[in-house]
Amino acid sequence: MMDLDKIIASLRDGKHISEETVFRLCLSSQELLMNEGNVTHVDTPVTICGDIHGQLHDLLTLFEKSGGVEKTRYIFLGDFVDRGFYSLESFLLLLCYKLRYPDRITLIRGNHETRQITKVYGFYDEVVRKYGNSNVWRYCCEVFDYLSLGAIINNSIFCVHGGLSPDMTTVDEIRTIDRKQEVPHEGAMCDLLWSDPEDVDTWSLSPRGAGFLFGKREVDQFLEKNDVELIARAHQLVMEGYKEMFDGGLVTVWSAPNYCYRCGNVAAVLKIDDDLNREYTIFEAVQAQNEVGNAIIPTKKSQMDYFL
Amino acid sequence: MSLPGTPTTSPTPMDEDSEQTTSVNTEPKRVKVYILENNEWKDTGTGFCIGEVDESKFAYLVVSDEDSPTETLLKSKLEGNIEYQRQEETLIVWKDLGGKDIALSFEESMGCDTLCEFIVHVQRNIESNISLVTVKSSDNGLGSVHDIITGPVTLPSNDSEQNGQTLLEALKILNENTSFDFLKNETIEFILQSNYIDTLISHFHKAEEKKIPKDLFLLSNIIKTLILYNQRDILESMVEDDRIMGIVGILEYDTEYPTSKANHRKYLGSKGPNFKEVIPLENEDLKVIMKKCFRLQFLKDVVLVRFLDDHNFNLISEIVMDLETCIIDFLQVGTFLDRLIELYNTNTLPDSPSIREKFVEKRKDGIRLLQQCVQMSINLDAVDRSKFYKTLVRKGLFKVLDYAFHMETDSNARILATDTIITIIEHDILLIHNVQNEDSFKQQHKLASNVKSSLRSNPHDYSTSTDSKLLSILSTILLSDRSPGLREQVVQALNTLLHPEGCLGNGEGSYDLMGRSGYESKNTSEDFPNFGYGLNSDSTNLNNYHYNGDDMNNLEAESESEFQVMEYFANFYNKIAPILFGPLIKKATTPEMSGKIEKAKKDDLLLIHLIKLVSFVCTEHDRVLSRRFILENGILDSVSELVGGNHMLQLRLTAVRCIKNIMCLDDKYYHRYMISKNLYASVFKLFQENIDKNNLANSCIQDFFRIIITECRAYQGNHHNRREENNGTYSSNVSNVRVSANNNRTNFTILNKYLVQTYGSILKKAADIPFIQDMLEIEEENQPDHSSFENSLEGDNEVSVNISSEGFTSNHLEEIDIKNVKRLHSEIEHFENDPHYSSDQLAFKKTVDQMNAST
Repeated sequence: MMDLDKIIASLRDGKHISEETVFRLCLSSQELLMNEGNVTHVDTPVTICGDIHGQLHDLLTLFEKSGGVEKTRYIFLGDFVDRGFYSLESFLLLLCYKLRYPDRITLIRGNHETRQITKVYGFYDEVVRKYGNSNVWRYCCEVFDYLSLGAIINNSIFCVHGGLSPDMTTVDEIRTIDRKQEVPHEGAMCDLLWSDPEDVDTWSLSPRGAGFLFGKREVDQFLEKNDVELIARAHQLVMEGYKEMFDGGLVTVWSAPNYCYRCGNVAAVLKIDDDLNREYTIFEAVQAQNEVGNAIIPTKKSQMDYFL
Repeated sequence: MSLPGTPTTSPTPMDEDSEQTTSVNTEPKRVKVYILENNEWKDTGTGFCIGEVDESKFAYLVVSDEDSPTETLLKSKLEGNIEYQRQEETLIVWKDLGGKDIALSFEESMGCDTLCEFIVHVQRNIESNISLVTVKSSDNGLGSVHDIITGPVTLPSNDSEQNGQTLLEALKILNENTSFDFLKNETIEFILQSNYIDTLISHFHKAEEKKIPKDLFLLSNIIKTLILYNQRDILESMVEDDRIMGIVGILEYDTEYPTSKANHRKYLGSKGPNFKEVIPLENEDLKVIMKKCFRLQFLKDVVLVRFLDDHNFNLISEIVMDLETCIIDFLQVGTFLDRLIELYNTNTLPDSPSIREKFVEKRKDGIRLLQQCVQMSINLDAVDRSKFYKTLVRKGLFKVLDYAFHMETDSNARILATDTIITIIEHDILLIHNVQNEDSFKQQHKLASNVKSSLRSNPHDYSTSTDSKLLSILSTILLSDRSPGLREQVVQALNTLLHPEGCLGNGEGSYDLMGRSGYESKNTSEDFPNFGYGLNSDSTNLNNYHYNGDDMNNLEAESESEFQVMEYFANFYNKIAPILFGPLIKKATTPEMSGKIEKAKKDDLLLIHLIKLVSFVCTEHDRVLSRRFILENGILDSVSELVGGNHMLQLRLTAVRCIKNIMCLDDKYYHRYMISKNLYASVFKLFQENIDKNNLANSCIQDFFRIIITECRAYQGNHHNRREENNGTYSSNVSNVRVSANNNRTNFTILNKYLVQTYGSILKKAADIPFIQDMLEIEEENQPDHSSFENSLEGDNEVSVNISSEGFTSNHLEEIDIKNVKRLHSEIEHFENDPHYSSDQLAFKKTVDQMNAST
């Protein structure tokens, strides 16, 4: 078996991981992930984290500020990749933690964890730049297909990347999706990853072109029908790191500080204790570090000789 | 300040002699002259204005009275730092050195133009400190917009001795000069014409040596400011050989990260990527362009990645693309590609081990070089891409690929070779095929002019063999190479090559195909009436099947391309599919493959790819063609076995999905086959294993039930109608559409009935799953109706099948376990009788039959 701790150390330093290692990591992750349900059960206490978007150094801060995976349980609400310059390292680090501490970390699929989106928003290019071919991207995309679509904490808090779907209004219905597929352009699986809460009276078209807008009514109905008290989701940048809506029935958690290295926002994670109390931890973007190798100054360097 | 009016009366033109008597520099133009007195513009008269330069090189604006030309209304010297303002179209306003405000109001804007040009002339040649600006009211009518037309430009000091002070000053100037186009352009001119950048670089080296951080950061900001000028020539000059290191060196310092420094120079230097010449480039210009191209990308992607705004980014991308287009063009002229391909001409390697090693390494580099060329071409214009790929294929790209796939042992090189192929076929799937056709056309053309009478003498149609060759190379790699990355790529290539839409020739491909078809048919109709379309005139394409040449000549170009596609797929199912799907075929086709196949049958990761390909061909290809292959080779039996077998769960679920996909085709032959061969048993076995678990396997199978129940419900919606009109029989008297709709829905009702009857006990254990409950309920509802499942089975059994007489090969006969099969129909019989199959499909089916009979 692989020396996970060693790989984790390399990833934290932003070092190159061999194609073969990535392949084996991805294969092992598939085996682990397929044992989880579409909506996986998680116990308290747990820390809920929002979008990461390839900001590896900020992800490391996140772990640092919130206890670390050795001591804390985490749910990540998806969007591990794209935008930032370390999508691959961020995603692999989370996978390694998942393999190393399977019950400490739950990974949920975000709308960026798809082949189509990553081809446009950076992850694909990053892999081609780092490896000269797209195989590693393919391996990762295969893992994306195995990620859960949601999680439920103590049967009381429903976690999902985007939001609700008019097609499936109970957690049990979500169980009937064969999730191992590219996220479709419509239907429940798509909505869970793409929808947004908004002050609307009923299901409305989303300006994103996928998913729906849903309002307080839909949230209240969902909470009631599934006997849960909170929907925790990510998917939208919140300058303050988190935002509660609909009388506290829904919260958006955002964990990528200074998003895209220029938005100037802070990030947050949400800790849920055994009594379901909510505690937010705010953190800011990492400043550049002294060592040349680990500076945040991104390097889109190609590793290869060139002929042209 | 209120604007003065323009002269109202139309004047008579100046006398020609008066024009001659005064030594003027400009044509006289009619104006009113105003002077500001006590905050009011006072009209001091109307006259003709000229710009005049006297013998002592003093310049004046002179207005002579129109009524008495000898009288001068105004003579104002252009001097000092006077700023002339052109307001709107017809006014020039200024304050002279004496503090007097003067305005000239021209009758026509043309007149104003003339005098403005004069001012510009004077500024450039005589009084460099005067300036001319324009003032226009802004588009929204509020406020005004200023622009500088000419004037003194402050430029940074280009003194070879620089210091913090001069640099700070320069930064300020460079920033300020971006505010007006005139200043910006003058500054750009200065940067390009002077050695200013070199001055900065040489100071950089000094400052770095003496460790003066202030200067280093200032230099970095100056260079960044120059980059923000977003000017192509400046950018290109920065990446020239003698500047690039200096520039990236300066950019290693960043005020945003004052405590750290990047290491761009180290990277570009010895440790980083090198510019390698596999084949020496004869053209020095080309080398320069290649380096420039790489460096600009390096600036864009690494050095300036966080700094560039969209405009900068786009400009650099644009330049890079221009250069790339240029490189690709260059590569195609001359002997470069020929010399490259030559590397792969010989099979004999040099004797000396060290030379041999070098040679092998060189070939590997050649593959990488080709891959980079093809990658680079991705951004080009579609037409340029096609042209380049065709050139590559014509020059012998296949030799390189042959080498990569047969001789080269390094998986990475093979991955790159596959990548090259994928890029080309994804751009235009027919391109390789077409280029090879051209060749065969030329061959035949040559042949034809020699032997005009007989044209059917081309024994080896190169085009078909190339298609097969590519498919068979890829299939063999997939089965034999264990590199997961290579497999991924090969599968992608196969998917592309086997996609019927791609083969029908969309976009470029279609244009190309049609274009060339026209060319050929023109030639053939005049000179070679029997020649046909090159491709189809030669019957070896289709194995032993012979088309009638005359028929083919009558076809439209469009059906010709359709024919090509059919031929292509027929060839695939005849020759390639038996190899590709070998591990899923019950009996190994050839003994020499059997060892490999046994190995492959245990390779779960390979089987996952193969099963996905099965799903793909079943859903995307011509149904009759693919189904025949799938059923005759017992592929679904293998798929079903894999669901139940002792394999990795990923594979077992992939197999379930394959079964779901085929079920969703709503194809009665598949449905009946799977029921009659009890292929769902393994799905239920898997379901039992996971019945109480909240995992992917459970969800995957719940989805299976969901599909069935959704389709059944949809059928129930139509059920009423159906019974009224049709009384539950599949009579061919009823309109095709109706029968088709009902039949399709019936597939799922029958399936539900079958599953509930066969696996009822398992289903009942999971009745808490809503869909399963529905399945049980629907079946109960239908019960009193009549046992249509039994009926339909038995009824059809009476039609009973004499399989061999219906045209199945004896090989196929062995595949079917007749005792256990409640076979509903003979497939062949249905092809003939089923009203769904239109005559053209029948025709095609006959083709296939004949081909099958002959293999």
